[in-house]
Amino acid sequence: MLVIAAWQACASLGLINGHLLGSPAGVLASAVTGLRDGSLGANSAVTLYETVAGLAIGSIAGTACGLLLWFVPKISRPAEGLSILLNGVPKIALGPLIVIWFGSGTSSKIWLAAVSTYAVAMISATAAVRELDRDLINLFRTLGARRWAMLRRLILPSALPWIFSALRMNIGFALIGAVVGEYIASQNGLGHEIFVAGSLFDLNTVWLGIIVLTMMAMLLTAFVRLIEERLIRWKTGP
Amino acid sequence: MNTMSTMDAMNRTAAGTMRASGAVLSIRELGHVFIAKDGTARKVLDGLTLEIGAGEIASIVGRSGAGKTTLFNLISGLLRPSAGRIEIGDPGTGATGFVAYMLQKDLLLPWRTVLQNALLGVELRGAVTEEHRASAETMLARYGLGAHLGAYPAALSGGQRQRVALTRTLLTAPTILLLDEPFSALDYETRLMLEDDVLALRADRGISIILVTHDIEEAIALGNRVVVLGGQPGKIIEDISVVLTTAGRRDAVSAREAPEFRAYHRRIWAALRGGA
Repeated sequence: MLVIAAWQACASLGLINGHLLGSPAGVLASAVTGLRDGSLGANSAVTLYETVAGLAIGSIAGTACGLLLWFVPKISRPAEGLSILLNGVPKIALGPLIVIWFGSGTSSKIWLAAVSTYAVAMISATAAVRELDRDLINLFRTLGARRWAMLRRLILPSALPWIFSALRMNIGFALIGAVVGEYIASQNGLGHEIFVAGSLFDLNTVWLGIIVLTMMAMLLTAFVRLIEERLIRWKTGP
Repeated sequence: MNTMSTMDAMNRTAAGTMRASGAVLSIRELGHVFIAKDGTARKVLDGLTLEIGAGEIASIVGRSGAGKTTLFNLISGLLRPSAGRIEIGDPGTGATGFVAYMLQKDLLLPWRTVLQNALLGVELRGAVTEEHRASAETMLARYGLGAHLGAYPAALSGGQRQRVALTRTLLTAPTILLLDEPFSALDYETRLMLEDDVLALRADRGISIILVTHDIEEAIALGNRVVVLGGQPGKIIEDISVVLTTAGRRDAVSAREAPEFRAYHRRIWAALRGGA
């Protein structure tokens, strides 16, 4: 609060250049305009949709690959190496390729967000499977469990904490994927808004976009945590 | 080599005479070889022959590396033997058997409640019926867990957890129960209580039990037979039938107070040292 007040005071007194830094009052004005003409809501909805869809696709695909590798231990090591390699690739560099392949609509942003989250989800799921107590697997085997029963009743539930920690990390990566996709080529979305405003030196709108993106990340994190607490109740007790 | 095989033959007859009914488990000339990553082979068990009768409690003692755990993994089917045969069930009556395995670790699933954990084995072998649920509740109540059916394992003590694991094992109605040092992580008092639980199993249900332990006292207190494994690769050095004179019913404490107890202790200890 104090920082915002000081920032506003400096901008109003002309101590700093409001055009190059923006001002809280300007951000507020920009928010009011955005809300009134509906562009802020629409752009936020687009980015939120891209982020959530990409996060879901990347996390589900990555987790599934990581868990299913348990069925084929022979390719588990090389596949994990490959996913670590993929994790090392700056996903932003893939942006132009994805935009060319999937066009400048929302689908390219979804795919960029999905690619950005896939590797972390997969590495995490692979680790969860590897850390599983061998004696537990043996217990299930002596109890006559089939492979699918083992996946459903042992591997998936014991991997849940890992899956969720990857999911929380991936919220940030998915947002980066969606916003960068919008920077590269788009007609709408918060990334688009920020990019256009930035090139017009409308820093108040840039700030507004950043604030909304931060709120979005916090909201998604809180939502994931809520689901996690519901599913992993045994950690906190009944 | 020669004396060893004669001894084996003698032991087999000794065991044979004390069996009341048919064998539930026959192990013949069992051998197992582990192949290390660098390709070298290590023989863990060699020419092991053992029969377990119905309702017997056989304690297996031996130094670490004598192949006790490997033997259990072979009996439970987790490993395939390199040589020899393992027959479960009684070929005479055609009865089949089911082996259950219990470890020192209780291996309860933290995301399942006490009742759900107890029913895991039943669930994996088919559908859980109301009957299963009722018998699980009865059994848990008898073990003092009636008030904890909906609790998660994290809220239980070590002894309580091990009793849930025991319930899970027993609900699958095994004919042979393999216990691999199941009580060694527990305090002495809890341990005596669980030993009584095991003795009661034999009395009430006639389950055959094979117990692996490094604790000679536990081996004598629970077993009506103590098998000493030793050597590299592991062989049976001695197979002693245990007869204890107890005042009243034989339990974990009265067995330890039997006049014969010390003599068995000395004999097993000597066999363990001699077989190294």
